[in-house]
Amino acid sequence: MKKNTDGWLKFRIVLVLVVLVSFYGVVFFRAFHLQVIEGKALEQRARLQHQRTVKIPSRRGRVFDRNLEELAVSIEVDSVYAQPNRIEDSSKVSSALAPLLAVDRRVLRRRLASSKKRHFIWLKRQVDLGSEQRELIRTLGGVDTVKESRRFYPHRSLAANLIGFTGIDSDGLEGVELYYDKYLRGSTMTVKAEKDATGKLLLFEDVEDGVRGMDVVLTIDRTIQYIAEKALRKAVAEHGAKGGTVVVMEPHTGEILAMANAPTYDPNDIRSFRPHQWRNRAVTDMFEPGSILKVFLLAAVLEEGILDPNDIFFCENGKYRVADAVFHDTKKFGWLSVYNIIKHSSNIGAVKIGERLGKRSFYRYLKAFGFGEKTGVDLPGESAGSLRHYTRWSDVALGTISFGQGISATSLQLVGAISAIANGGFLMKPRVVKYIRNSDGVVVEEFTPVILRRVLSEDTSREVARVLTSVTAPGGTGELASLDGGFKVAGKTGTAQKPDPERKGYAPGKYVSSFIGFVPAEEPRLSILVTLDEPQGSFAGGLVAAPVFKEIAKESLAYLGVFPEGSSPEGPPSGRVVEARLSNKASVRHGTAVDHPERIPDFRGKTIRSVLRIAGERSLEVDIRGSGRAVSQSPSPGGPIPEKGGVTVVFQ
Amino acid sequence: MIRGRNADRLLIVTTLGLVAAGAVMVYSTSFIVAMKKFGDEYFFVKKHLGFVLAGMVLFIVFSRIHYRLYRRLAYPILALAIVLLALIFVPGIGHKVGGARRWLALGGVTFQPSEFAKLAVIIFLAYSLEAKKDVIKTFSPGFLPHVVVPGAVIALIMAEPDFGTAVTLTMLVYIMSFTAGVRLRYLLGLAVMMMPALYMVVSNFGYMMQRIAAFLDPWKDPGGAGFQIIQSLLAFGSGGIWGTGLGEGRQKLFYLPEAHTDFIFSVIGEELGLIGVGIIISLYVGFLVSGTMIALRTKDLFGKYLALGLTLMVSLQALINMAVVMGILPPKGLPLPFVSYGGTSLVVSMIAVGIILNICIKGNEA
Repeated sequence: MKKNTDGWLKFRIVLVLVVLVSFYGVVFFRAFHLQVIEGKALEQRARLQHQRTVKIPSRRGRVFDRNLEELAVSIEVDSVYAQPNRIEDSSKVSSALAPLLAVDRRVLRRRLASSKKRHFIWLKRQVDLGSEQRELIRTLGGVDTVKESRRFYPHRSLAANLIGFTGIDSDGLEGVELYYDKYLRGSTMTVKAEKDATGKLLLFEDVEDGVRGMDVVLTIDRTIQYIAEKALRKAVAEHGAKGGTVVVMEPHTGEILAMANAPTYDPNDIRSFRPHQWRNRAVTDMFEPGSILKVFLLAAVLEEGILDPNDIFFCENGKYRVADAVFHDTKKFGWLSVYNIIKHSSNIGAVKIGERLGKRSFYRYLKAFGFGEKTGVDLPGESAGSLRHYTRWSDVALGTISFGQGISATSLQLVGAISAIANGGFLMKPRVVKYIRNSDGVVVEEFTPVILRRVLSEDTSREVARVLTSVTAPGGTGELASLDGGFKVAGKTGTAQKPDPERKGYAPGKYVSSFIGFVPAEEPRLSILVTLDEPQGSFAGGLVAAPVFKEIAKESLAYLGVFPEGSSPEGPPSGRVVEARLSNKASVRHGTAVDHPERIPDFRGKTIRSVLRIAGERSLEVDIRGSGRAVSQSPSPGGPIPEKGGVTVVFQ
Repeated sequence: MIRGRNADRLLIVTTLGLVAAGAVMVYSTSFIVAMKKFGDEYFFVKKHLGFVLAGMVLFIVFSRIHYRLYRRLAYPILALAIVLLALIFVPGIGHKVGGARRWLALGGVTFQPSEFAKLAVIIFLAYSLEAKKDVIKTFSPGFLPHVVVPGAVIALIMAEPDFGTAVTLTMLVYIMSFTAGVRLRYLLGLAVMMMPALYMVVSNFGYMMQRIAAFLDPWKDPGGAGFQIIQSLLAFGSGGIWGTGLGEGRQKLFYLPEAHTDFIFSVIGEELGLIGVGIIISLYVGFLVSGTMIALRTKDLFGKYLALGLTLMVSLQALINMAVVMGILPPKGLPLPFVSYGGTSLVVSMIAVGIILNICIKGNEA
């Protein structure tokens, strides 16, 4: 019996052993199944969750004025997000976060509670946090911060309608920000990265070093822009105008030096403003120019040789019937020379000049001056204006167009056209961007002056300029635009009726008052157009717009160091476009020695990745030593590129 | 076959093999977390090696203490275990981690009373089963005390709650009772009777239901409750036959919660592949076989049961842990003996080996 019991005991122990060993066998078989049979599929799945292609939006490039003053920059700010599915105690987290984010505790808790299952929600974007605050947020668990870039416009509303603005994701929405978005945005870097379960990226270098967007350097001069805006703002307020524009162009290059708009807005706070305040009216809005168009009528007849400034016309004592329409002058004129028709801005005189020129010829010149088609300026939303084909002009239409009604144009078109007179006859493409450089300051794309066509001979343009100076001479309609102290101003006033969009015909009492011209008349440096939309009270261009022109011209010339009558210390550029273009190019290229493409770049402080990129762009050989950040290089930056061998860069 | 002194040699070799593999894997699984959390990649390894050292010392000490001593101390040891378990529920002494009170903080050292309770229950069972060997087939002295006394301890452990240890201990009680000859029909009858109670307990603990639901269909909610298991399976799958190489595993990068403790075997699967898994399983089988051989050889019934119980304690826990990480059993939260980072478990396992070794040496002297 005893023996038997012992036998059974032994049997049971061995049985337990066998069962357990076979369980181990089951476990091993399961491992075999997982690792060999299902292995590939599981591995695939694991890889999917580890490797993320991470898109790193590059830091948006800056916008500079022509003197490299920052107009738009991107600053790094913190955005706070939550992974609600990882938050244990949402009320604790929200209480801790509320004071840091300046958001109500209950609002936070509700947001967290309502998205309990989600993996990601923004709690607050673009807040300023200190490093201790960031650390504090990180310790809460389930919430974290990321760096985002936010657009900042240090000069607030300065050139705001031109520069435009960006959305919360730093995407260009208006103006230069929109038109040059693909440069400013730069390339989005895609990087394969390891990810852990908390969503943190690991084994990943250069996170902060995404390819920065490129910098856009405008043709705008911050000071002239400021002068123009100040003068416009003052006039709009003084005359209770609905709006206004000022465009200042360098006539020889087509570069826009200033483009002022009223109303305007603060791009740092776009949500407080409406689209009509964002709009860049100088480019998007067309209007009937009125008498300023007579300049181009004059240019056409002189170029055609049909008339001489001294030829005289009978101005019908203020009343002239053409077909079924009667034209009026504001003053009754008898016989006037072409010269005086312009000086006194006689509509009837203009109508008669137009009749002499003829529809076809006039149309051809208006086309040549760029009316009726987009200038091709590098800004979004440009309007083409409207210029009907001459075959559809009635005799009355020829008459009205001769004094600038029944045709519409943008401020930009008009400035381009007047510049063609100022620069000796070339229609230049208007431009707002001088060049684009990468984040290392190397110029990657440069925009040189573009001649669209020759419109006038140099002689004709001089002759037109001479006639236009009569406008600002004593007794001319634009006398208030004349500058004291020796500068002659060539210009023309305009007081245009506004078409009534509801009824046919013109809206009574609504005018666009303008002044267009260039200074100094003999050696033009600036073409300027001022328009004021619906000024109240006095509305004559010579009264409301001419003084604005004067103020801008005077202050800008002083700023540019242009002095009257040869007293200038550095001779103003000659009328030849070719020379202007050369000097322009040279000034860009010689920014700093290090930026020079034929010199060795400064690699110090950069990562291996960016050194390789820069070297690649310049086809420069580099010898990488070590890893980390570049601490020294041989040869030194700024020197000539060696013919043999490359640059040795030491990283640490 | 393994005979005579070969068994204890195998026992020591397998134990040391597992401990060594554990130390390496604790480093491999924890260095990134340690670096991130403490700025010291050796943070966990240093602590782990401290426990290894303590375990070695205790292993030697216990291998020299005559095991018959525990026979006399069976009741005091059991009483101490129950007191320690009860102390967990005293605020200020009991240490709560992640919703469960499993630790006692005594003078800066945290300690898991349930680990000690396992030893106490095994000693008690070995003592009691030997004492009642002649009436083992009866209900009252043969069956009842061997389920009621451990049952009380298990209930306390369940209350912590530490479901994993409770299950291990329950299985241990069943196997030891069965081996000693307690009537199977009593044991099975009790099991059937316990079913509704077990269901009540499980459904009362929301986390258990979640775990079980996740176990039944882990892919249903891969981001939620099934997360751990799925990540573990992915680790095994990524390892393939040869593994990704030591330290190269990706799953431990926060995908596997507690990679250096409960889920260390997954990382072994990923980094060392089926080969590594096979080696570890072989070591456990070796341990089980040598421990059982020692039990079989031991003439003294108390020593026989004690050796068997201690061997089973380690082997069952290893089996359950492996089954859990491979998705065969629902998650429990048990460390892998000798291998996982984890102080008390390692130390208690080493003590168990020390005792088994002593039984091997002294068991046949009487």
